[in-house]
Amino acid sequence: MSSDRTKKTKPADHPGTLIAESIKALGSGFATTAKHLLRRPVTEQYPEQKRVLPERSRARIVLTRDPDGRERCVACYLCSAVCPVSCISMQSTGGEGGRRVAAWFRINFSRCIYCGLCEEACPTSAIQLTPDFENCRQDILEMVFEKDDLLVDHGGRDDRYCFYRHAGIATDTAGKGEHVNEQPPVDAKSNLP
Amino acid sequence: MLAWITGLIVLLVKLVVVLVALLLTAAYLVWAERKLLARLQVRLGPNRAGKFGLLQPIADMIKLLTKEDLVPESADRVIFLLAPAVVSVTALLMFAVVPFGTDITLFGRRVPLIISDINVALLLVFAFSSLGVYGVALGGWASNSKFALIGGIRGAAQMISYELPLGLSLVPVVMLARSFSLVDIVNAQNSYPFILVQPLAFAIFVISAMAESKRIPFDLPEAENELGAGFHTEYSGMRFGLFFLGEYVHMQVLGALVAVFFLGGWRGPWLPGPLWLFVKIIAVALVMIWIRGTLPRLRYDQLMAICWKVLVPAALINIILTGFVMLI
Amino acid sequence: MIKLIIDNLRVEVPPGTRVIDAAEQAGIMIPRFCYHPALGAVGACRVCAVQVLEGSCRGIRMSCMIEAEEGMVISTTDEEAVAFRRQVIEWLMANHPHDCPVCDEGGQCLLQDMTVSGGHGRRRLPVKKRTHIDQHLGPLVVHEMNRCIQCYRCVRFYREYAGYTDLGVMGSAGRVYFGRRSDGVLESPFAGNLIDVCPTGVFTDRPSRFKGRYWDFERTPSVCIHCSLGCRVTVNTRYREVVRVEAAHDPQVNGWFICDRGRYGFPYASSPQRPRSARIDGRKSGVDEALDEAARRLSGIAQRHGSGSVALAASGRVCLETLGALTRFGSEKGWRGPFFRAGPRTAEALQSASKNLEEKISISLKDIEKSDFILLVGCDPVNEAPMLALSVRQARRRGAVVALADARSVQLPLDARRLALRPSQLTAALMRFAGKAVADGGAALSDRARGFLQACRDSRVDPAVDEQIDHLGLAARESRRPVVVCGTSAVAPDTPAAAANVARLLAAEGRKAGFFPVLPGANALALGLAGRTADHGAALREALEKGDVRALVVVETNLSELGFSADDPLLENLEALVVCDCLDSAAGRAARVFIPTQTVFEAGGTFVSAEARVREARPAFRGGTPVAQVSGGGHPPRTFSPDIPGADPLPAWQVLAALAREGTRVSADTLRKALPAPLCGAAPGKRLALPASAPDAFQPPEDPATAADGGLEVVVCEHIFGSEPLSRRAACLQELESAPRLGLHPGDAAALQLSAGQRVAVDCGRGVIEGEIEIVNEMARGVLLVPRLRGIDWHAAADGPLVVAVADIRSVKPNGES
Ligand code: SF4
Ligand code: SF4
Ligand code: SF4
Ligand code: SF4
Ligand code: FES
Repeated sequence: MSSDRTKKTKPADHPGTLIAESIKALGSGFATTAKHLLRRPVTEQYPEQKRVLPERSRARIVLTRDPDGRERCVACYLCSAVCPVSCISMQSTGGEGGRRVAAWFRINFSRCIYCGLCEEACPTSAIQLTPDFENCRQDILEMVFEKDDLLVDHGGRDDRYCFYRHAGIATDTAGKGEHVNEQPPVDAKSNLP
Repeated sequence: MLAWITGLIVLLVKLVVVLVALLLTAAYLVWAERKLLARLQVRLGPNRAGKFGLLQPIADMIKLLTKEDLVPESADRVIFLLAPAVVSVTALLMFAVVPFGTDITLFGRRVPLIISDINVALLLVFAFSSLGVYGVALGGWASNSKFALIGGIRGAAQMISYELPLGLSLVPVVMLARSFSLVDIVNAQNSYPFILVQPLAFAIFVISAMAESKRIPFDLPEAENELGAGFHTEYSGMRFGLFFLGEYVHMQVLGALVAVFFLGGWRGPWLPGPLWLFVKIIAVALVMIWIRGTLPRLRYDQLMAICWKVLVPAALINIILTGFVMLI
Repeated sequence: MIKLIIDNLRVEVPPGTRVIDAAEQAGIMIPRFCYHPALGAVGACRVCAVQVLEGSCRGIRMSCMIEAEEGMVISTTDEEAVAFRRQVIEWLMANHPHDCPVCDEGGQCLLQDMTVSGGHGRRRLPVKKRTHIDQHLGPLVVHEMNRCIQCYRCVRFYREYAGYTDLGVMGSAGRVYFGRRSDGVLESPFAGNLIDVCPTGVFTDRPSRFKGRYWDFERTPSVCIHCSLGCRVTVNTRYREVVRVEAAHDPQVNGWFICDRGRYGFPYASSPQRPRSARIDGRKSGVDEALDEAARRLSGIAQRHGSGSVALAASGRVCLETLGALTRFGSEKGWRGPFFRAGPRTAEALQSASKNLEEKISISLKDIEKSDFILLVGCDPVNEAPMLALSVRQARRRGAVVALADARSVQLPLDARRLALRPSQLTAALMRFAGKAVADGGAALSDRARGFLQACRDSRVDPAVDEQIDHLGLAARESRRPVVVCGTSAVAPDTPAAAANVARLLAAEGRKAGFFPVLPGANALALGLAGRTADHGAALREALEKGDVRALVVVETNLSELGFSADDPLLENLEALVVCDCLDSAAGRAARVFIPTQTVFEAGGTFVSAEARVREARPAFRGGTPVAQVSGGGHPPRTFSPDIPGADPLPAWQVLAALAREGTRVSADTLRKALPAPLCGAAPGKRLALPASAPDAFQPPEDPATAADGGLEVVVCEHIFGSEPLSRRAACLQELESAPRLGLHPGDAAALQLSAGQRVAVDCGRGVIEGEIEIVNEMARGVLLVPRLRGIDWHAAADGPLVVAVADIRSVKPNGES
């Protein structure tokens, strides 16, 4: 670090120049901030002025649905595992048609730091962060959202994706060998090559 | 007897006036700092409470007063409760020896515009400023939290170190004024302020004084991005408020001391003495805010290096030079 | 020792060590799928490739297939080896489904770990994936064949290690299929190990299906208490519920595996029926109140009728701490007991088995695997001590001779020589065997031993079987490590002592002989050592009839084990019946004061296994009603409080202390110290310090031939599923229970003119056992087998082989009339 600096200011090895340079640097700093005094503040006056946030900005979390309208989350526990503040908890269970679903799914928004890791970990695109950041409550218990509070009736981003069309397990969506990129099941009892 | 009573009354009145002025200034210094800092950073600053956010200090105070006063379970209770008071009280006490102007005559009595003129005033200032360290160190220790403890230790180390250049930088001033009394020092600057003859001492004093008051770029004891809030992490409500108050009173004390030692104190043309002093204090404070808005925090080793490798030797050299010049 | 260098580390291993194990010793974990220490190496998966830089076979080699050689230099990080392994993973993943999120293996999947650590992330193969149809394999194991990576671990375990044949490998080339010929319940009671053994999610646990992920489970080292072997297990809990039990590795006892009773027997702990609050006279109450009330009543009765009018009852289910509390507070207060087992016969069998276990002849399951001659006397390993069957099988695989003397048609996953003998014949048979197995006059033997040998040589069983026994004895002459395994339920009271003496005799001859008892209950050995011979169920019955006992404190015991039926009229005579249990039982419901106790998962506890090993179960969670039950399946309640609902139950030893008015703050340590030697010195993880020689060693049985003439000997048979009081509450195991039928030899059935499916009532004196007849071919003549299963009132025959006259057996119509 220090060697870098001496390299850059090669002729400045002389203490006099060094001091002069430092003073110049300090001076330019002070000048910059002083100039700021004359600039118009960039502050936006929330709540009078509301900015439309980009689609990918991260705030209140929702659980989206499959193209066929069924719950998309397979309760794989990946989001709860990755969550750095452990604010997601759930219980998986067997659902209709051989699917795996969440018996309950809870996010404690008073702990969530909106880091988006859950969304990144989710293999089914079920959990998604939305730009809705105005999610404050007077009572902290109301910040604990259950599955019904989280479920929305659309697919969010990736709204064409259906995990059960890709997974190998047999469900009422696709049986063995009927998933994307699968051969029909083999006959194990045949000895033909 | 009567003289004694009127003396007491006059003293009390002076005390109240100074105290109220100090606290009010402290409150609005906070507002000024937030506002100015915001503008330095192209923001707006407080603007919701009252016009230009002028009621913000009052709102803050109400908030602080009504907030719950939390004491951590494992804290050393007595020390924890006392520490904030130590900080603010020592800061306030330093004002006792600062002269505000020439003596005035009220109802036929000569009233010195100083709370108490004592001949070792300068040493008293140092004594109080050293006592302030206790508030920080003990507050940090008593919280029984690692952040607070590290903050407290950093504060103690930093304040004790910087006391040295602070004191040494004033030795030439004392040599020139030939007195420890602040009144005499101001009087000695009758013809010219000492900043003209002692620019180096001035620079050393200002830097050390800022380090003493733990302000950016010297705010390592409360470095928020590594220590939470440093030594006062565990404080809330008015106890936190006392730390806060202490800091802003300290700012004014520093302004006053800079004014007294280098800028001729209350002396100045046209305006009455107290007003001049006020203007000088505010000017110093504004510069400090500007510095805060511009410079980043130092690294801990840099902080110590500046003190021991630059300021202390420079102050010593300055003393020798001054003595040499005075001899010839 | 062989010295070699692996990744620049010097490693020293015994000759014959595989490189993969040598590396593991040095802390280098070479990836593996097919290699398993218990199953050996087949080199099927190719993922353990390393570069051999120096040695007899240079180049890329499978580290599981080569043995360490002196001076070998191995690199696991060599570029070529790493690339090789990466490629193997990519091949294995080519057909692997996109399943991880819905696969229960996820999180503890070897394939997942290897894929991630190998850096494979995207499938490059442009062809479609091969798929398989799955099978329904019963209530325990889920089958998902798509996930298979053809490591052959499952079939190697199932067929070779465990010895069952209904699961195998079919097909060829890229389509090999691991499963049964057709859908159906897996026959092996060790099938649960497929879950642990399979490195991917082909076989997963059905009861815990979808219940959670490995990383969310609190994993606690514990011990299985569903039989007397004390296998080491890992308990997984989540949300106040035991979710899954897995085998934990114990090289001396269970190795890497456990049986399905141990794996799936836990649901009693979180059953909704489990009593969680105390009851006084049928009314719910707080535990403290009930403890107070019970203590008050007990001391009142003790004052009125003398302290001996209070009796304690216990079973092999109680842990060492509770047993200590029973002993200490019982003797301090002058209470009787603890009463255990049904009567004099079973009590003596248990005690002689326990007290005859001495240092020289005590052996571990591992030693059994190494033995070369195993004689199983009156024990049914698969049903009474399942993992013993696997140990015996390992010995058999290594060439040991296995012989079986039993009244039942014992099924073993191995071929054994069978002697169908009535329990009353076992002692004589054993001795006759010993007489032949010792070659000469035994010059090296002590006088007592020679006396016993003489008694052995004089012993006669039955001319029909004598020859077979002699034959067996001659076969045992050559053995260097003979083992006698003896049960305590289907034997004569003196059989265990005789079995120990036979082992002693063989040991005295200079061989490494061993005696291994199979006992009723996880802590039965301690019970046998601590209990008094006279305190058995029949004695308790007598005392109740005489009115000597007015109050009974039943601690974690099913009264049927003491020979009482659920509605025994004698129990109604009691002034106070205090039941402390974690199970919901008939006695508990009838109790005047009921106090719920904690299970082993909450309280922990120490147990002494049949091989005298002190086993510690740590508390796995703090107790309380499972969250899923509190919430009724939906989300947990939205109220937050530090109180745990349903956490009233206390450890049984604390309950006992409270009943003795000692307060509940007793330390478990001091309670263990209150036990008689050698139990008081029990240190978890160690073996009990057994006596060097038992006091009545080489004591020949008094009257070895007590053959039943004319009557039938009633033998209560334990079943792996449905007999043991804790595991029989598991719904998944209930599906696997056999139908309760009374077994009869075809000859006896013909003589009694009974046919299969006919219903009979057998008057056992104390009660009538009723059930359907089943004709069993391989069993002994002159025996009636009574299964210890629901639907059969077996307690009347609980006290060991009991003889009933033919006249006491009559056939009944299904509706119960004669
Ligand atoms: S956004 Fe981050 S903190 Fe919030 S639930 Fe997701 S992973 Fe957890
Ligand atoms: S990661 Fe996605 S699919 Fe898995 S539990 Fe979370 S939301 Fe559900
Ligand atoms: S089913 Fe599992 S254990 Fe058997 S070969 Fe396939 S991956 Fe291996
Ligand atoms: S053999 Fe016994 S101890 Fe071992 S797992 Fe099975 S029931 Fe449990
Ligand atoms: S572990 Fe060596 S080839 Fe599979």
